Amino acid sequence: MDRRIFLKVTAVTGAGTTLASCDAPVHQLVRFIPEETHVPGVAEWKPGVCPICQAGCGVLVRVMEGDAEVVRNGHAGVVAMGLAKKLEGNPEHPINRGALCARGQAAVQLTYHPDRLTRPRKRVGARGSGQFKDVSWEDAIAELLSKLEALIAAERRSALAFLGTPGASARADLVDEFLTRFGARPAARFELFDNDVLRRANELSFGRYQLPTFDLDQARLVLSLGADFLGTWNSPVSQGAAYGQMRQGRVGIRGRLIQVEPRMSQTGANADEWLPARPGTEGILALGLARVVMSENLRPAAGAGRAGALVDGWPAGLLDYTPEQVEKRTGVAAARVERLARQLANERPSVVIIGGAPLAHTNGLASALAVNALNALLGSVGEPGGVSFMPQVGRTNPPASRPALQMLLADLLSSERSPIDVLLLDGGVNPVFGSPQAWRTREALLKVPFIVSFAPFLDETSALADLVLPDHGFLEGWDERRPESGARVAVRTVAAPALRPLFDTRATADVLMEVGRRLGRPLELPWQTFEEMLASTFETVPETPEGDGWTVAKRHGGWWGAPATSAPVVRPRASTGEPPTPTPQRVGDPQFIGDQAAFPYHFLPYASQAFLDGSVAHLPWLQELPDVISTAMWSTWVELNPKTAARLEIRQGDLVEVTSPHGALRAPALVSPGLAPDVVAMPVGQGHEQFTRYASGRGANPVNILAPTAEPVTGALAWAATRVKIARISDPDGSLIMMAGSLHEHPEGGRD
Amino acid sequence: MGLFVAAIACSAGVGCRRAELPAPEATAVFTPAHATVGAALRDFFNIRPSVVQPFPFPHKTHAEKKLGCTEYCHEAVTQGPRAGLPSVSTCMGCHEWVATDRPRIQELMSHAKRGLDFTWARVYAYPAQSHVRFHHAAHVRKDIACATCHGPIEQQGVAERNVDVNMGFCVNCHTAKGAPNECVTCHY
Amino acid sequence: MAYKWGMAVDLDRCTGCEACVIACGAENNIPTVGPTEAARGRAMPWIRVERYWEGEFPDVRLKFRPVLCQQCDNAPCEPVCPTYASHHTEDGLNAQVYNRCIGTRYCANACPYTVRFFNFFNPTWDKPLHLQLNPDVSVREVGVAEKCTFCVQRINAAKTEARADGTNIKDGDLQTACAQSCPARAIVFGDLNDPDSEVSRLSRSPRGSLLLEEVGTKPKVTYLSRQSQA
Repeated sequence: MDRRIFLKVTAVTGAGTTLASCDAPVHQLVRFIPEETHVPGVAEWKPGVCPICQAGCGVLVRVMEGDAEVVRNGHAGVVAMGLAKKLEGNPEHPINRGALCARGQAAVQLTYHPDRLTRPRKRVGARGSGQFKDVSWEDAIAELLSKLEALIAAERRSALAFLGTPGASARADLVDEFLTRFGARPAARFELFDNDVLRRANELSFGRYQLPTFDLDQARLVLSLGADFLGTWNSPVSQGAAYGQMRQGRVGIRGRLIQVEPRMSQTGANADEWLPARPGTEGILALGLARVVMSENLRPAAGAGRAGALVDGWPAGLLDYTPEQVEKRTGVAAARVERLARQLANERPSVVIIGGAPLAHTNGLASALAVNALNALLGSVGEPGGVSFMPQVGRTNPPASRPALQMLLADLLSSERSPIDVLLLDGGVNPVFGSPQAWRTREALLKVPFIVSFAPFLDETSALADLVLPDHGFLEGWDERRPESGARVAVRTVAAPALRPLFDTRATADVLMEVGRRLGRPLELPWQTFEEMLASTFETVPETPEGDGWTVAKRHGGWWGAPATSAPVVRPRASTGEPPTPTPQRVGDPQFIGDQAAFPYHFLPYASQAFLDGSVAHLPWLQELPDVISTAMWSTWVELNPKTAARLEIRQGDLVEVTSPHGALRAPALVSPGLAPDVVAMPVGQGHEQFTRYASGRGANPVNILAPTAEPVTGALAWAATRVKIARISDPDGSLIMMAGSLHEHPEGGRD
Repeated sequence: MGLFVAAIACSAGVGCRRAELPAPEATAVFTPAHATVGAALRDFFNIRPSVVQPFPFPHKTHAEKKLGCTEYCHEAVTQGPRAGLPSVSTCMGCHEWVATDRPRIQELMSHAKRGLDFTWARVYAYPAQSHVRFHHAAHVRKDIACATCHGPIEQQGVAERNVDVNMGFCVNCHTAKGAPNECVTCHY
Repeated sequence: MAYKWGMAVDLDRCTGCEACVIACGAENNIPTVGPTEAARGRAMPWIRVERYWEGEFPDVRLKFRPVLCQQCDNAPCEPVCPTYASHHTEDGLNAQVYNRCIGTRYCANACPYTVRFFNFFNPTWDKPLHLQLNPDVSVREVGVAEKCTFCVQRINAAKTEARADGTNIKDGDLQTACAQSCPARAIVFGDLNDPDSEVSRLSRSPRGSLLLEEVGTKPKVTYLSRQSQA
């Protein structure tokens, strides 16, 4: 047989496994002519935007030439192309200052994940069965167009809905523009651990519907009430960088950290003093501290201004919050309250942070208002070492409130005929996983006749779609983020595609623009491509010696600086019906769901170090990352205080059942000293029924059993308000995998 | 005997893939394992069959046209660790109009039109498990001629393996020129 | 004068975030072993963050310590290696030469810091995850031991560039992957033979101590203790 024919035959049959030491003279795969030129072995660094959380850190992508197996015109082959090898923090970026957290480092696996959706798919089996067939982009877009035309013809434009993740960005602007011009329902945005309660409190206290930025670099004393700001909350990399400076970055000055929480978090582990307080009483503690400061005349009471006026009883000096009353309600000793208040007033600049579980209670908003008032009283608002708000530029999209999803679900469940005919699901939004089963999210979504998902992966929510139009990976398309916290200047992180698309995916923004163009009555969006849209938004940026705003932004990975105008982020009033002028709030006791006798323990689900809310549980590096407190890998676990465990005769690794008034789950027990005896904690992130080969069917999801109780003013889910009971089920089943040999490492002499 | 072969196979890392992670359907996997015992043994003893190229590229013809090694085809050699091979688009830079009547050039043009590159076989290579890295630019900057390690390729058709570039060859030159002989200079 | 690579880890800055762990894994082609092998203790993080509990609720304390190869000047892993795969370089590194390694595991046995890992089987990457592999770092096969190399690929690249420019490596230009990613700047890497380098300055800190110093390994990682002010 002629060798050339042999080559062609083997090329067509393709090969499943490429081995490192392929020493055969004939390669099995055809090689395509590369479409890019790279110097082999030499890296190029291109700016990128980290997609993992809302912090909006800037990254640099290490791009090197490598061989990728691709399919061109139906033939399998190999081609040399630029591949992303690693992400590093962009040293110029004001938020992360050259650093990058563990999850950001793992993000590169999103691009090369084996279960990434590679082309459009159309459902063939039952909804949620995961049975899809491949379709062409032409057919897929044609089908979407026909569904939208049907809506228009039936005069049901408002029956189009969009569900995505929060965060101000050009992509969000485009979606909103598309929906507005179509006449659709406003977009609903959902994320389990979003911070709407804090944003609302900041709007009331300071006129800014925005997450706060903390100037830790210059602080002397930081009091954190439940906020895991070095781990998972707000802008962890920027806060971590500032924390390092706070500790050892100033000659002769070392800032201190005091953490108050019922479960020692990663941040709490770093505290100089760690104080447990009863769950949901952090706002009461804050007012107790404020009272001491005012009653001892350590700071002028009037300094609290508008923020103070929002707290019931503030002008009178918070008479109900004596140290003794605070001790009774919070569990923090009266003497400690007094001492802490004096420290806050004297070791200045001082700042108080509240975030995470304390705001996920029924009194969360009131607690946040209390802390705002305390910060104002301490003179820490807008001052070095205190709390401030990052200038915002561009069209500001106030992160839409969770009630938008809850309203959507309520509408779907309440009527016989679904009010939504077409639902568009953006990539990454996963309310089926991230909401309590009591919300009946899956049931509600199943009522929608036609669901389209742009997600790059199949998860519990995107698997319900009838049509999947997978977006590019984050390095393959344009991206732009407008972070709302983490720096003292305005920031727009922006990046051109760093890599050619590996698969037959398309940028969702461009797909939406095409759909808008091809409707019978086109939407007439002002741009043809997403790139054009981004370029146009940089037109107002002044030119510098380096070049025009857009060119410079592309080169550096964004734009940052003092904006010419800075509009405070304001939430549209029309979306909710609350009164225009707020009445002063008192911090009531938190309400818990579950009778204390039947459900003796507070249930604390927390954003896990590896997975946050579970949206990155599909990355193998993160599955194998030992949780820094438990050292557990590939696992789910239920944390119990040692005395509680002993009393219930539960040993490390035993399978336990956790039952709330709304459901039950089973997981191995992990005995943890840093936990109050009446609290049971579980990391969020595992328990995916469907989320690629690495996360599917692994562990349990604590969100399932949460009570659907809400903070009354914002409607935000009070995810820390559920009570549970525990029962031992059996001996360990091997599902708890820990890196550490045993829980208590006995320090040898000489170690710190 | 079978056990012995199996033991050799296992220690040579043949096809020992742990089915750790659930793999639906036929999952393609990258691994340093060898596909067969034969492949493992050949790698271990550095036995490489003589190279057969998919296309008879004549270095001599091009060298006579004064096209230096590093000018158009192997330019990466002055910039980084790897010399690189030109793609068919580089050839077409000239051959879109040069010698287009020759059957070989027409074969080249046909490849270009179909977007296919040549699957060149490596002539100079090291066994994978020697974990050795060669940095071209560092050597080219010291004015070491290409022919020193690659033989007189400019007088050849397709490249021939004339020089046995084994560790002794490298170490002798390093010793003579005062270059580092520390293992991790090249093996890391 | 030859370089002497060393590191300083400031435990007062370290937050336990483990950015260093993933950054190292991404840079150095560390395989994911999966849950079964991880349960057998065969995960191989070249850097790990150890945590130590002290006390009982409510007076609990939790301390973090990133642990990696200490590149000991009196390394116990070197004299036990029968093939010179584990040996000391002029730059002060404990080198691991994979092609010399025959897998006796005496080095991992001798190391008091448990920072050496053995490939009990060939690692696998579900395609196309392998496209992320760093071409500057070897992919280790079954039967060889591996450990932190202080990112020797970066050291070699920096030396090659410096030689081309005719200069020395400037302090701060060369960073290990862990140091580069750390948000709190807790890890500092550099030349201990340069008295003005930041790592030299930190290694002289009164807060500095060496891990298991009494064992006599002469580790080159200085840990700056966590301060506490009650």
